[in-house]
Amino acid sequence: MATFTFATAQYESGDWDSAPLVPPNIIDTIARYTEIEVTPTGVIVSLASPDLLRYPLVYLTGHLPVRFTDAERRQLREYLARGGMLFVDDHNHDVDGVFHKTATEEITRTIGEPKLLPNNHPLYSAFFKFSDGPPTTSHELNGWGDNLVHKNLFAVMREGRIAVLYSSKDYSSEWGYHPDTKRMQSVDNTKFAVNIVVYALTA
Amino acid sequence: MRSPPDLRRSLELAARIGALVLLAWMIVRSAAPRENAEVQERTDSRALGSALAAWTLAPEPTSVHVTAAVAPAAREREWLRALARAGVRVSWSGDSIPASAIEVAARTDPAGGVRAYIAAPQGSRATVSDAVGLMDSVDIASGSVAMTLPVTAGALDLLVRNQHARAYAPDSVLPRQVVVLGRAGWEGKFVMAALEERGWKVSSRLRVGPSVFVTQGTPLALDTAHTGTVIALDSSAAAYASAIAAFERSGGGVVLAGDASLPASLRALAPGRPGPRVAAASLSFANATPRRALGFFPITVLAGDAVPLESRDGRVVAAARRVGAGRVVQLGYDETWRWRLAGTGDAPAAHRNYWSTVVGAAAYRATMPVQGARLAGDAAPLASLYADLGAPSAPLASSLRISAGLRWWMFVLLTVLLLAEWSSRRLRGAR
Repeated sequence: MATFTFATAQYESGDWDSAPLVPPNIIDTIARYTEIEVTPTGVIVSLASPDLLRYPLVYLTGHLPVRFTDAERRQLREYLARGGMLFVDDHNHDVDGVFHKTATEEITRTIGEPKLLPNNHPLYSAFFKFSDGPPTTSHELNGWGDNLVHKNLFAVMREGRIAVLYSSKDYSSEWGYHPDTKRMQSVDNTKFAVNIVVYALTA
Repeated sequence: MRSPPDLRRSLELAARIGALVLLAWMIVRSAAPRENAEVQERTDSRALGSALAAWTLAPEPTSVHVTAAVAPAAREREWLRALARAGVRVSWSGDSIPASAIEVAARTDPAGGVRAYIAAPQGSRATVSDAVGLMDSVDIASGSVAMTLPVTAGALDLLVRNQHARAYAPDSVLPRQVVVLGRAGWEGKFVMAALEERGWKVSSRLRVGPSVFVTQGTPLALDTAHTGTVIALDSSAAAYASAIAAFERSGGGVVLAGDASLPASLRALAPGRPGPRVAAASLSFANATPRRALGFFPITVLAGDAVPLESRDGRVVAAARRVGAGRVVQLGYDETWRWRLAGTGDAPAAHRNYWSTVVGAAAYRATMPVQGARLAGDAAPLASLYADLGAPSAPLASSLRISAGLRWWMFVLLTVLLLAEWSSRRLRGAR
């Protein structure tokens, strides 16, 4: 029986491993709220590796400039054309930052320009309801990064489905804590991750 | 030694007797049974049309034989049948007519098109064309071949050794939606993606948590007015077992994938019982049989009326059976998504084609007749010839034949004999 395995993308440039606590936290959230069979530990997969095709949802983040190699670009293009989904989060929370500028440039070069995703998209009701669109992060409210509250996510669509989901909201910081810490929180701020995974699995 | 007057009288007597014998023979011939009557032959189907007119207008329609290089057209066969019913003995021969046939059926596929099934002698070349022009040609290796034609215009014409055969799809198929039921997972996602990319309308109800489902479209409209096929992805579809069974018995198609047939409620429909899961036989999709790189649940105990469709290393991995008015296809595979993502070449297209074929094979066929399809022509000319005129036979023996020309010359001979005898008698002064 197929299980869901959380995969983090490794790329040649930048700091792809800047949010090591995000995978276990999301795995914990998936197991906590859903019946989806999830592998207890995540995997790291190179964007240039054929192994990328074993993980239909891949998470990519970082602070530093992103420059895909030709092999990474070629493999990612094939992956997305076959139905894979890439979730990219700007760990800087800064639309003037180097990650945002270079990552969006690379995505545009690889598959197309990310466009604004409307806040009534099925992503926001795939499991939990987020009637106002993507949940706000504490990093946005604290005025870090670009000092903006981003109302929307961006996406590159393919065949009516999200192929690349791009976030400037810095969920990598928001979700980057040990899962046990959740019991200290009045509201679980990782619920939106369930929507991303359920959307990827069902849409 | 006889004197000249005696010789003259002897000749007159001989002429009279000859004329009487000839007259008597002609009378007997005219009253003889038909099998001893006239035979007309035509060796070319192109001459058959004019020959038929002549035979029909002949004062003594008797017995005709057609030697044909190609099977006569339906109109000519009907004409020959009419002659036979009017009392003419009709026979035919034609060793060179190829036993060819074509059948066309609309595909149960949103992309439309037809499936053409062709029979022709081994070693021959079959050419298929439609109203627009040549579509395909194929060498017949084993007596029959099937081909998929995505777009056609009008009837399909099959040409084998100068023999044409024509056929039309008798109806068009109106594909119904596909319903996908099971747990949320990559298999469901990519099966739905494959079918939607192929043009199928897909509804789904995928279980994410206890009493939590992700729903698309109208998955619970399990009736043949809305749904053609239900795909049960896994054993969680047993929750809908009674609705699936009722749908299937009323004509719907069901695909039981992976371990969906494990629960007893769905096992009753299944062509077989799934055994313990078998790991992939190959780690790579890069070979001629990419599905060897997929794990599967072997179908271990087949029902008596089940038909195995695919096997791997001696184990059945796909089978089908009819239950009630519907069809059930059981697939042992539960991770075909890996084929789509990691397969070599155009694996997504192969994956789409595979699932579309499976769904189409099981689907309820809502059809609409095509007007005039039955008038398209002969689908199997040689078989039609057998049906209309019976088995071929040799023409009647030449000793029994008498032609119109010979009859004319016999009449002339009779007249000459009588005139000679009468003139001789009158010239010698006798009465």
